Amino acid sequence: MSNRLFQGVIHQIKDAIDRTVGVIDENYTVIACSDLGKIGETHEVMFAGAGGNGVSDTFVRGQYTYKMFGTPQRAEYILFVEGNDPQAAKYAAILSISLSNIKFYYDEKYDRGNFIKNVILENILSNDINLKARELRFNSDVARTVFLIRVTSNNDVSVFDIIQNLFPDKNKDFIINISETDIALVKETKPGIESSDLENLAGSIVDTLASEFYYTHAVVGIGSTVESLKELARSFKEAQVALEVGKVFDTEKAIVSYDNLGIARLIYHLPTTLCESFLREVFKRGSIESLDQETLFTIQKFFENNLNVSETSRKLFVHRNTLVYRLEKIKKITGLDLREFDHAIIFKIALMVKKYLRANPIKY
Amino acid sequence: MASLSLRNICKKYPGGVLAVQDFNLEIKDKEFIILVGPSGCGKSTTLRMVAGLEEISGGELYIGDRLVNDVAPKDRDIAMVFQNYALYPHMTVYDNMAFGLKLRKTPKEEIKRRVEEAARILDIEHLLQRKPAALSGGQRQRVALGRAIVREPKVFLLDEPLSNLDAKLRAQMRTEISKLHLRLGTTFIYVTHDQTEAMTMGTRIVVMKDGIVQQVDTPQHLYDLPCNSFVAGFIGSPQMNFLDAKVLEEDGTFFVEFGSEDTKTRSGVKYKIKLPAEKNKKDCLVPYIDQEVIIGIRPEHVHDEEELLEKFPDGIVEANVEVTELMGAEKYLYTVCEGQNINGRVAPTSTAHPGDVIKITLEPGKIHIFDKKTEKTITN
Repeated sequence: MSNRLFQGVIHQIKDAIDRTVGVIDENYTVIACSDLGKIGETHEVMFAGAGGNGVSDTFVRGQYTYKMFGTPQRAEYILFVEGNDPQAAKYAAILSISLSNIKFYYDEKYDRGNFIKNVILENILSNDINLKARELRFNSDVARTVFLIRVTSNNDVSVFDIIQNLFPDKNKDFIINISETDIALVKETKPGIESSDLENLAGSIVDTLASEFYYTHAVVGIGSTVESLKELARSFKEAQVALEVGKVFDTEKAIVSYDNLGIARLIYHLPTTLCESFLREVFKRGSIESLDQETLFTIQKFFENNLNVSETSRKLFVHRNTLVYRLEKIKKITGLDLREFDHAIIFKIALMVKKYLRANPIKY
Repeated sequence: MASLSLRNICKKYPGGVLAVQDFNLEIKDKEFIILVGPSGCGKSTTLRMVAGLEEISGGELYIGDRLVNDVAPKDRDIAMVFQNYALYPHMTVYDNMAFGLKLRKTPKEEIKRRVEEAARILDIEHLLQRKPAALSGGQRQRVALGRAIVREPKVFLLDEPLSNLDAKLRAQMRTEISKLHLRLGTTFIYVTHDQTEAMTMGTRIVVMKDGIVQQVDTPQHLYDLPCNSFVAGFIGSPQMNFLDAKVLEEDGTFFVEFGSEDTKTRSGVKYKIKLPAEKNKKDCLVPYIDQEVIIGIRPEHVHDEEELLEKFPDGIVEANVEVTELMGAEKYLYTVCEGQNINGRVAPTSTAHPGDVIKITLEPGKIHIFDKKTEKTITN
């Protein structure tokens, strides 16, 4: 699409500039030129190796002046103008500004990726979504799921490129840079796809990033599968919520699905004031603070072993009576007897609420 | 090629969950080590700590002579193959294998050499120009292995790489990976929950449970001399039979007794099995006289053939046959004796049918005895 766009502009200006001008893509192929015969030829000029400083570079090779342009992050194209005089450099500078702006506006208007980005970030009015989708000949009624990939370790590998290579079908799957650490993947899925299949897919992203590319550590939040474009923003938000909730409650999990958040989902949606008053009610006079790390670990193990005293004492390598003594101590301090189901569930939820308040996650 | 040394390795998550505790293991150069255990036992976490994907909370990890606790994963000279491997669908096999090297800006000639060498080792030279969609499951798995091989690492880490494959392909790939280990002559650490994979592939097996190493030994030793009832039950298929029993002593001879006096629900018979001379280990058994223990016997040591009943008369019990399964070369008998399940792996010619009450013998010399509380082995 860019080829035709550039060719259109160059065709219009070719009479105003009495020199050959053209554009080379990343494969060093001429994709647009005032001299039509040159289209398809290759110019062996290196993108990064040409001068070094990326997008603003101008350099001369033989009878041509070259100027890189593209997005601020990456030079995707090189403009060339016949001649190695200052005038050629000026033409190159003016044309590169003009072409990159045209490309930017064109992309914004017609790029499906941008459209999807606007949809998930709610930068487009809900009523305009269907109109725009029609304009872009976009199939709006297929099942899609948003995966939010957060890279937690720094390295020099472009995670974006890797994910794009994993999902190369640009008509079905969209990869969007959300921030420095976050990448959203909007993936076309089968209607009624199982949550476990989505988790497998997320697993393959995490594993691929980890295995081949300098062991990039990533976590993935998965939103629900939605069947209309308007709902994509919801799926994206859910993926964000899943990551936040996972950060608080499932610190060891690399994949968190919104569909499997369990009780953590409820706690996440509670207002903090309500959580604080619940904690005050359960742990009177700050009694939770007086429980040391060992006691909290005992409680955790007791819950993990389904309130079974014998099993827990075995796992903790302590005598049964030691465990009973610890549980009595907890009862004395907090007023909650963890051997009773009702008390245990209150304690469990209170611990989760406390964890949630301490982590102070972002609310979406 | 390198040796590894894991010294008192621990992993504690921020929530307080202790995933791995005090893991100690010396891995020799070119060894094929298998980490095996049920889900959540900490085997993958251990592997990920070796890879550098998880921080080590405590202890020291050496690769060769170098302490690598704080070394970035990319500088550890290892390659990892995961369960959820994904190939780049629009790239050829060659490009799939070369992609990681290209990202690392390896020279083109070097990439070509490494990819061709890996393809030769994996026997996929003829597939290099194909795209993943045109490959079978096994071929894709080989490409995934190839991506690790081209990195020419000192240590290969494999995290359940075969669990996405069907049973037939898994068996085939098991052999392929063992062959690959021999061809590459590199240290392999392989994580699986499948005890068959563990038994067939590893030079040594590490059995884990709840983040704790239970036993490290060769497959044969693990099978014959398990250190506790967990290892005994985990290794071997079908699983070892476990029966509640009591140790008795009469005139210096030890017996194990099991059965029930309850005549309402059982037949009220108690079976006393005399332990052969080699099992009469006084030092071990004396503290357990009249104490409850667990006895274990592997299904292949339960017999119903006439000549074996005659050969092992001390171990004869009566059991109700519930189900039989003919496997071709052998037959599995699922029986109940005094309320306890005893499964046998017998000759396919066995005439036992569901509903029959038959005599079976538990080979006394093959009985393992475990402490009921600690689950530790008293005698093997």
